[in-house]
Amino acid sequence: MSKTKGVFLFAKNNGQLDYVKQAVFLAKRIKKYLNVPVSLATDSPIYLQETYGTDDFDKVINLDYTNNSNLRYFYDGAMSKKQGGFKNANRADVYDLSPYDETLLLDTDYIISNDLLSSVFESNADFMIYKKSSDISQARNEDEFEKIDDVSIDFYWATVVFFRKSETNKTFFDLVKHIEQEWHHYRRTYQVKSHLFRNDFAFSIAIHIMNGFQPGSFAEELPGTMFYTADRDILWEMNDDKMMFLVGKENYLGEYTAVQTKGLTVHVMNKFSLTRIIDKELANE
Amino acid sequence: MSRGIVVLAQNTEKVNYVDQACLLAMSLKVHNPNTKISLVTNDEVEKKNLFDKIIPIPFGDHAEHSDWKVENRWKLYHASPYDKTIVMDTDMLILQNIDVWWDFLENYEIYFTNKVLTYRGTPADTNFYRKTFIDSNLPNLFSGLHYFKKCEFAQDFYAWLELVVNNWQTFYEQQLMPQSRPQHVSIDVCASIVAKILDCEDEITNSISSLPTFVHMKSHCQDWKEVENNWLDKVGFYISKNCEIKIGNFIQNGVLHYTEDNFLEQTPVVERYRSLLNV
Repeated sequence: MSKTKGVFLFAKNNGQLDYVKQAVFLAKRIKKYLNVPVSLATDSPIYLQETYGTDDFDKVINLDYTNNSNLRYFYDGAMSKKQGGFKNANRADVYDLSPYDETLLLDTDYIISNDLLSSVFESNADFMIYKKSSDISQARNEDEFEKIDDVSIDFYWATVVFFRKSETNKTFFDLVKHIEQEWHHYRRTYQVKSHLFRNDFAFSIAIHIMNGFQPGSFAEELPGTMFYTADRDILWEMNDDKMMFLVGKENYLGEYTAVQTKGLTVHVMNKFSLTRIIDKELANE
Repeated sequence: MSRGIVVLAQNTEKVNYVDQACLLAMSLKVHNPNTKISLVTNDEVEKKNLFDKIIPIPFGDHAEHSDWKVENRWKLYHASPYDKTIVMDTDMLILQNIDVWWDFLENYEIYFTNKVLTYRGTPADTNFYRKTFIDSNLPNLFSGLHYFKKCEFAQDFYAWLELVVNNWQTFYEQQLMPQSRPQHVSIDVCASIVAKILDCEDEITNSISSLPTFVHMKSHCQDWKEVENNWLDKVGFYISKNCEIKIGNFIQNGVLHYTEDNFLEQTPVVERYRSLLNV
């Protein structure tokens, strides 16, 4: 019997950002570029149904609504920021929630613009994640995405994760849950300076532990490089697989350089500018 | 054919290298109880039973007025009681079974490690300490862990090493670029000069093999953005009752070259090994 495969998204809205809208937008692009079914876990299923419908999704999984969130600033370019709740908990539940044997977990702000990730379903690796990443500005210091601290372990991005259901991977996701529950212990043990829980850190720590506290081969690298733009940048324009970013200049607050991409999948951290673009795109449908 | 490890220890006013050698011998016994280790020294050794043999430094002490005591290192070829010898620095710990190393070294008459690791298990960039190797195009050899078989080639190599060490200023002037020429004798530099003179790099090291190697704890090798002079001030050191060692979040295997003179005083490592081995 062939194995089921699909993409899995989480969308938990806060007062500032509509992650459900991002998920709907991304699901359309996944269908176009990867051509695999998409499931969504959300705490706002009624909002989804009433506002966008569920046609873009294979399955919608209801999550309990909770106000639990980490307060953090969300930047909208270099000059504007808003405080909002960051509902990033329970990402490791994907193992139990996903209806697929082979799951590609994506953040909703990971804007798929090519078919590169299709190949993961053909891969022999059972767990894949990005360690290699690149700021599209090619000019800023990327140290914070190399190690979780100067003396500590390698940084992995929880933005994109591929896994097959297996006992080993179940152990991994259980471990991530444990790290999340005991976050302040692990934060101190792994020299993480920020109090804020981040899935990137929890996944990085769990990979290190799965490797036996040494360099190891538990996690294979996803194809290509994970490109990202900071939340100080602005997604200015999108036309199919072309995107135009205004990239904040390092030492000139409020000044930008235009960078255009074509056929490049990009992690867009400025979620406000992403939302503005999505509004335009959805309005044109 | 006999085989074993040999270390040279000469105490100074500041550092008790014999104590370091005893610690190395204890660490050897945990994972390699049948591997012999001999100590070459003129100093008093309290725990003699840790060693197979204790051998006086042959041909007199050429390092009497030296801080680093490297002037006697070439004598280890002559002092070793074994047909096949691994030479190690005293400030090392052996944290795994090294039988597979002996098997690998069967392929060589002399072998020097040329790649070392950070405590995170990644290749260490030693350029900070090895400018003279780069500038003068020397083979990147680490004599802190090397091997020789008693044979004509090794005898020849060590005869050259004796010559270079005893006349190091002359050889340094001939072989090393002035901008990074060291002002003191270094056994790594001397061994690399010999390898260059004999044009034998391919016969005594292997750029592909990842074994044998060691974790080199000099601070500037660790791929840190902010470096402390003493790595013990930068990252945690942990040793369990079973003498399993972690540095930071990383379990250590293989050989750990801890490098810091105050390592024995700053960590509970001696007490842990004594307790485990009941010595």
